[in-house]
Amino acid sequence: MTAPLIEAEGITKRFEASGGLLRRSGPTVYAVNGVSFSVAPGETLALIGESGCGKTTLARTVARLYPADGGRVRFKGEDVTQARGKALKPFRRAVQMVFQDPYGALDPRLTAGAIVAEPLVIHRVGNRRSRRDRVAEMMATVGLSAAQMTRYPHEFSGGQRQRLGIARAIALDPELIVADEPVSALDVSVQSQILNLMRDLARDRGLAYLFITHDLAVVNFIADRVAVMYLGEIVELSDRDALFADPRHPYTRTLMRAVPVPGHGKRARGAGPAGEVPSPTDIPAGCPFHPRCPRAEAVCSTEKPPLEPIAGQPQRRAACHFRDEAA
Amino acid sequence: MSIREVMAAEDGVETMPRHESMARLTFARFLEHRMAVASAVLLFVLVVLVAAAPLFAGALGLDPNDVDLLNRFAPPSADHPLGTDELGRDVLLRLLYGGRVSLIVGLVTALIAGLIGTVIGLFAGYFGGWLDALLMRITDSVIALPLLPLLIVMAAVDLGKLGLPPDLATSPETSLYRIVLIIALVGWTTVARLVRGATLSLREREYVLAAVSQGAGSLRIMFGHILPNAISPIIVATTLSVGTIILLESVLSFLGLGIQPPIASWGNMLNNAQELIYEAPALAFYPGVLIFLTVIAFNFLGDGLQDALDPKALRR
Amino acid sequence: MTRYLIRRGLESLAVLLVMSFAIYGLMGLMPGDPIDVMVQSDPNLTPADAARLKALYGLDRPIGERYLNWLGAALEGDLGYSRLNNRPVLEVLGPRLLNTILLMGLSLAVALAIAVPVGVLSALRPYSKTDYAINFGALAGISIPVFWLALMLIVVFSVQLGWLPAGGMQTIGSEGWLDRAKYLILPVLSLSLASVGGFTRFMRAAMMESMRQDYIRTARAKGVPERRVVYKHALRNAMIPVVTILALSFGTLFSGALITETMFSYLGMGKLIYDSIMGNDYNLALVSLLFATFLVLLSNLLADICYAWLDPRVTYR
Ligand SMILES: Nc1ncnc2c1ncn2[C@@H]1O[C@H](COP(=O)(O)OP(=O)(O)OP(=O)(O)O)[C@@H](O)[C@H]1O
Ligand SMILES: [Mg+2]
Repeated sequence: MTAPLIEAEGITKRFEASGGLLRRSGPTVYAVNGVSFSVAPGETLALIGESGCGKTTLARTVARLYPADGGRVRFKGEDVTQARGKALKPFRRAVQMVFQDPYGALDPRLTAGAIVAEPLVIHRVGNRRSRRDRVAEMMATVGLSAAQMTRYPHEFSGGQRQRLGIARAIALDPELIVADEPVSALDVSVQSQILNLMRDLARDRGLAYLFITHDLAVVNFIADRVAVMYLGEIVELSDRDALFADPRHPYTRTLMRAVPVPGHGKRARGAGPAGEVPSPTDIPAGCPFHPRCPRAEAVCSTEKPPLEPIAGQPQRRAACHFRDEAA
Repeated sequence: MSIREVMAAEDGVETMPRHESMARLTFARFLEHRMAVASAVLLFVLVVLVAAAPLFAGALGLDPNDVDLLNRFAPPSADHPLGTDELGRDVLLRLLYGGRVSLIVGLVTALIAGLIGTVIGLFAGYFGGWLDALLMRITDSVIALPLLPLLIVMAAVDLGKLGLPPDLATSPETSLYRIVLIIALVGWTTVARLVRGATLSLREREYVLAAVSQGAGSLRIMFGHILPNAISPIIVATTLSVGTIILLESVLSFLGLGIQPPIASWGNMLNNAQELIYEAPALAFYPGVLIFLTVIAFNFLGDGLQDALDPKALRR
Repeated sequence: MTRYLIRRGLESLAVLLVMSFAIYGLMGLMPGDPIDVMVQSDPNLTPADAARLKALYGLDRPIGERYLNWLGAALEGDLGYSRLNNRPVLEVLGPRLLNTILLMGLSLAVALAIAVPVGVLSALRPYSKTDYAINFGALAGISIPVFWLALMLIVVFSVQLGWLPAGGMQTIGSEGWLDRAKYLILPVLSLSLASVGGFTRFMRAAMMESMRQDYIRTARAKGVPERRVVYKHALRNAMIPVVTILALSFGTLFSGALITETMFSYLGMGKLIYDSIMGNDYNLALVSLLFATFLVLLSNLLADICYAWLDPRVTYR
């Protein structure tokens, strides 16, 4: 196996009601609790889970947009958890983001050209002219025309805006793109165009993705491996085909129980387990999934199952006491 | 002033129109605000008039500082359309030249104060933490202080004791700069609070996160991404503050602590009004009316801009 | 809560200390220090004498040291002498303070008596002709220079109509409240007109905000009579921010009082501060200015306490 591009180890992130002079009281939100995973060069790891389970928080913490409350991030073996300023530059250059809301992610006051050029300006790449050429090239790569450089974000359609966001992300030839639900705000017809583009980019440029989604069809289309999150933790981590064929965590199973997915026989969109998601301010003891779990036994409410390999499939992990039972 | 500030601070972030079509929409909304349009017209006329002051002076063949002791308190005539004051100076010309000073002091001070407030608000909102706590405590304290007595003290300071040469320290021009400086020193609070509020909300926007993830530095993010998107509350607050500042300048000049004669300002034209009130009540009338009209016009203009730039916010 | 109050109290104290140093420093920059004034008025004093006197009074020491000496004495209750009045500063201050409290209290009462009903009326008919007229009036009130308003009141009521005195505290040789009242009418009118516009606009905003609240809608839906909804529920709730704003506007009101007192020769703190600065009585100016600052900070603290007490949504750490 190749050396991982990025490794997260025991990442923890809490949100506290911010302390001001007059503060509105609020309990601590345990958004991400000790999550570990890694992404290899050129690999796409999909991160799935219900709304509010901490996907965005995890991605942003790993991308060093939020300071971690615990754990470390290693990039090409180097610990970047505490890196700042100059030390962080290579990381910033190699890791780029694509956001869910293609409108919110583009500064409304900048032209498309300025938006795509910004990473080049920040990292002092080339001069004004060469940057212009590079921007035109990037816009062509994502299927926009260079003539659109002088337009403002609101003059583009949703899909075009997301292309713009992607053009900005690839301008510096990054190695990893953290994409947070990049297509879920788009029309279904546009979704497949953007997904195709992203997959082609990965193929042509050897890009790796940390790809957040809650659409299993998207996972099926783009992912090499899948991490399933529940209440701030990864409960199952597996290569895609094995996961679809034989999910081992009861939570993964309920996610998949629904509409058929072409080629894999199963598809779920937004369908999850019965019952309310417990609040991340008050995570159940034992296995966090046990109150909603159809397979739960007494041990589940007392003992927390670690994320460990499944018998006979060392590359797959699940955090369930019954991980070795096939469906 | 403090009520205005608290209200303004509670209005929070406004969004700015995004492009030509939006700009046209904004303009259309502004036109709907009749008082604001009337105010804009009034201010425009006023600016043209005071800008043309030298033309009036040429036409009358007079200088605003020409003293004519034989012709004191003259009633309006062809030579002196609004009569003369206690030194026989032409009232109309002094009003026009005084208007230049009052308007320029108001605008320049508002711009400087707006600049200070913007920087303080940006830093407080962006960096948060102890810096925010400190800056906001300072802001609240300045808002809370009894400003007029403090301004009087600062206006009374002997600049000679700060090391300025005596003739410079007491020159009328210096009084102009001094008034701009000290009012700006206390006038930045509204803008600071508004910009801080806007920054707090804008820094969570995804395009700011995007810039951070690309490795943009704090200054780039503050001045390149947050400030341009926070411009509309700044415009509104700065416009509103012009009125407040003109009022402050006029009262200080009236008390003899602001703009020093022979430079005329609407405030110092009222200097002797109280003693002369029995002899020449009209002398007290004109400058006050002009101050009042100018200030109310800036206030309506600010209201109109607020409505136009931020249709979602509670009107006025 | 107690902890919060203690912290706010300490913060206010810190602001007061900073201000005392700043004002002390500014006073040192005033034209003509006491010795210079003495030298000017007494031709027998030579520059050498002046230098000796300065050394004697410690005026040649660095500012920090002088300030600490002053602070030490002040904390022991020695606030010094007023040069203009030839009396201890505190003796001068006391009666002036009472006069100012009377002026400000009456003006505030008048302003509120107008602003509350008018603001509510405006909020109940938003965007109506009445509302626009009220807003125009309120903005006019905010925009009028107080000193000029006072001047115009004098012109109309004293000079032309001759109904009321143009200034002063009471007629010489005359006693009693009725006479005092005559001298109070114009100052109170001028100061209340200066603040009524701001209060009206604030009242309107608070009332509109309050009418939007869920429980107001609920009360309406339950068929509670409209008058009761407005006066019992909405108005009561709208008074929370208004009470706070009252305390917070103390500083502004004091600035207005300074102008009004000066215009009407009303012997209050504001005029005292102005006169002492103009008359080079820096000891008096320093103490009265600090005292005004202290009062303003105190009223802000009270505003915070009121807010905490009235608004259950806010918690403290
Ligand atoms: N800045 C914040 N302050 C406080 N709580 C937050 C903040 N950001 C996220 N949270 C909370 O943390 C938890 C995880 O949120 P997160 O946005 O990471 O979930 P998500 O899996 O991305 O959800 P979605 O699918 O809806 O995007 C949620 O309970 C959320 O309310
Ligand atoms: Mg998310």
